[in-house]
Amino acid sequence: MRLCDCAAGKLYMIRTVTAEETIVRRLEALGLVEGTKVHILMKKQDGSLIAAFQGTRLALGKKIAGAIEAEDCEEHGR
Amino acid sequence: MGAESVTVCFTGNPNCGKTTLFNAYTGAGKKTANWPGVTVALSEGSLMHRGRLVHLVDTPGIYSLDPYTMEETVTRQCIRDQKADVIIHVADALLLERSLFLTMQLLAEGKPLVLALNMMDLVRERGMDIDIGRLSRLLGGIPVIPVSARRRTGLEELMDAAVEAARARRMADGSGRFVSGARYSVYRSHSAHSDGPAYGDGPSGSGGSWHGPVSARELHDRARRFAAACIRYRGSPAQNKRNTDPSVGRVLDSFTDRADRLLAHPVWGIPIFFGILALVFFLTFSAGGFLRGYFERGLAMLSAYILELLGRCRVSGWIISLVSDGILAGVGGVLGFLPNISILFLALAFLEDSGYMARIAWIMNGTMASAGLSGKAVLPVLLGFGCTVPAVLASRILENEKDRRRTILMTPFMSCSARLPVYVLFTGMFFPEASAAVIGGLYVLGVLAALGTAWAAWKAGREEPYEDILLMELPEYRWPDLGTVVSCAWERVRDYLEKAGTTIFLASLVLWFFLHLGPQGAAWDVSESFAAVLGRGLAPVLVPAGLGAWQTAVALLTGLSAKEVVVSSFFILYGAGNRGAGGGHEALAASLAAGGFTGASALALLVFCLLYTPCAAAMGAIKQETGSLRWTVGLAVYQLFLAWICAVLVYQAASRIPGLG
Repeated sequence: MRLCDCAAGKLYMIRTVTAEETIVRRLEALGLVEGTKVHILMKKQDGSLIAAFQGTRLALGKKIAGAIEAEDCEEHGR
Repeated sequence: MGAESVTVCFTGNPNCGKTTLFNAYTGAGKKTANWPGVTVALSEGSLMHRGRLVHLVDTPGIYSLDPYTMEETVTRQCIRDQKADVIIHVADALLLERSLFLTMQLLAEGKPLVLALNMMDLVRERGMDIDIGRLSRLLGGIPVIPVSARRRTGLEELMDAAVEAARARRMADGSGRFVSGARYSVYRSHSAHSDGPAYGDGPSGSGGSWHGPVSARELHDRARRFAAACIRYRGSPAQNKRNTDPSVGRVLDSFTDRADRLLAHPVWGIPIFFGILALVFFLTFSAGGFLRGYFERGLAMLSAYILELLGRCRVSGWIISLVSDGILAGVGGVLGFLPNISILFLALAFLEDSGYMARIAWIMNGTMASAGLSGKAVLPVLLGFGCTVPAVLASRILENEKDRRRTILMTPFMSCSARLPVYVLFTGMFFPEASAAVIGGLYVLGVLAALGTAWAAWKAGREEPYEDILLMELPEYRWPDLGTVVSCAWERVRDYLEKAGTTIFLASLVLWFFLHLGPQGAAWDVSESFAAVLGRGLAPVLVPAGLGAWQTAVALLTGLSAKEVVVSSFFILYGAGNRGAGGGHEALAASLAAGGFTGASALALLVFCLLYTPCAAAMGAIKQETGSLRWTVGLAVYQLFLAWICAVLVYQAASRIPGLG
């Protein structure tokens, strides 16, 4: 599922990021790559959210959140 | 061997304290902000270290050495430029893993590197420690120095290590390779399995795709392993890891998370932000007003003294007038709202350094999207309440040129500190019981005009639908560092003094000449001056807005030099004498009323002042930042037109209300 459709308070594992090169690179540099597990700290109705991992907290706009594919960790028993 | 000078290049993530460290060495007052994009140019400074001249260069905060954004390109250029002898990578020790990602990319650049672990004091406070020796070995033997920029510890050791690393390179074989084989082998191992060009292939060759040999994921994995190997927890493992979720690698429910549950709340975040803003404004007006009183008194005393001196020297009348009404009035105009501006900028710097400002971008992101802008545009807009000049400069936060221009469009509508005297004077004279409400209304009207203008510009530009690509790191909350807050605020106040101060001062002088010279030579009666001639020409246009007196027209014209000058112009033009003198306001009110100036006219005037062309200093800043004279003039004309229409509407509506007309 896309990160913009996720629920606040849960843990997700990143699968793929499909966006413009600049954004992908910036996310990579911050540590948001395939396999990274993120906590969704806060989520707004429009799909933008705050994701936390490894001591970093990122506010992501709707479009970026929509470009990230992730799977629910709890569901998949990770 | 003489002590040659050494050039040190500071690099690091945004928020890592790099600029605070840089300032600690150079004593410079450069901006520190949690916003990538605020520093897009290099800052330079120098100091003497053990008898050797050391040049320091501070680069913009970056997360990696990818050449995709301006900051990264600028930093890469600085590093590869032969002049940089050694790189100091400033890393947040609390975010070791993420920081090492950049460290390893920097190692691959093949230049002497020193790793400065900042915030080590906080690491220890949290019951952790970092095995410096081990980390250094893992990184190929580069010096790793713990520092605390805020507490000013470790600074000597760091500079020693940097200078030593730079010198050692010079004693190497001259091939430009990094000194020890061991260090170089770390760089090598990154590209050991590659069949493409090595990342950042050293001093020779052109850079290939940085992704060539090692993927970002592999680099992060390596960084994670290194960090895990070096971080030690004091106390029992159970005690320390209790709050950590190992799979995510972060402490759960920290203070920052708990605070964000409230401050960054999707629903409550906005009202809380407005509440904080209201508090800031309250401080600005009350403390600012308080200080302003002292300023004015001080200035009045100084003026009196100077005038007395001139009188004793029997200097001719017109010189006295020039000094008093031109120079002193001009200086007073500049300094008059310095207290307000300083307090506002201090408050904003406090919010920036605490980490809250980044949250504001998140909170307001949705609202700003309706005007086609990212939440990041809020900072320049907030600064506009102090002075338009630093606000325009702060628009650099927006990465996109079009977004930057639309943000600049918004800034002049924020009621800057200079407009406040106009508001206070006219509401005091015509709406004494409702003055707070009227002034508040003007502020709100300004914000609405700003949003409306940005929205219209967006739609008119026929741009694609707004894409919310906000990507903002939210740093941990921390108690702001006094030195950082003051230097950040001072930087903005200095912008104001340099740009606005000089322009306003000069404009006041020019104004004086316009008011005291006329077609028949020196004009002792203002109504015979060039200004009056101009005013009479303009007055008919202002009649529908209830502002059709030549004096009013001239006063508004003088507002082009600085909005605050409008106040003194009204006093001078309506012959009400010294505004500070007792009874000054009543005399002015009477004089105005005699000329047909009503409550409705006052409202129209207030609205006109709010909306019309900003002062020359602001125009100068806008021209500088947009690089387009045409665009700047277009904005000036637009604002004039908008101001006129709104003033007319307000007057026509208000004059129908009994008691105002």
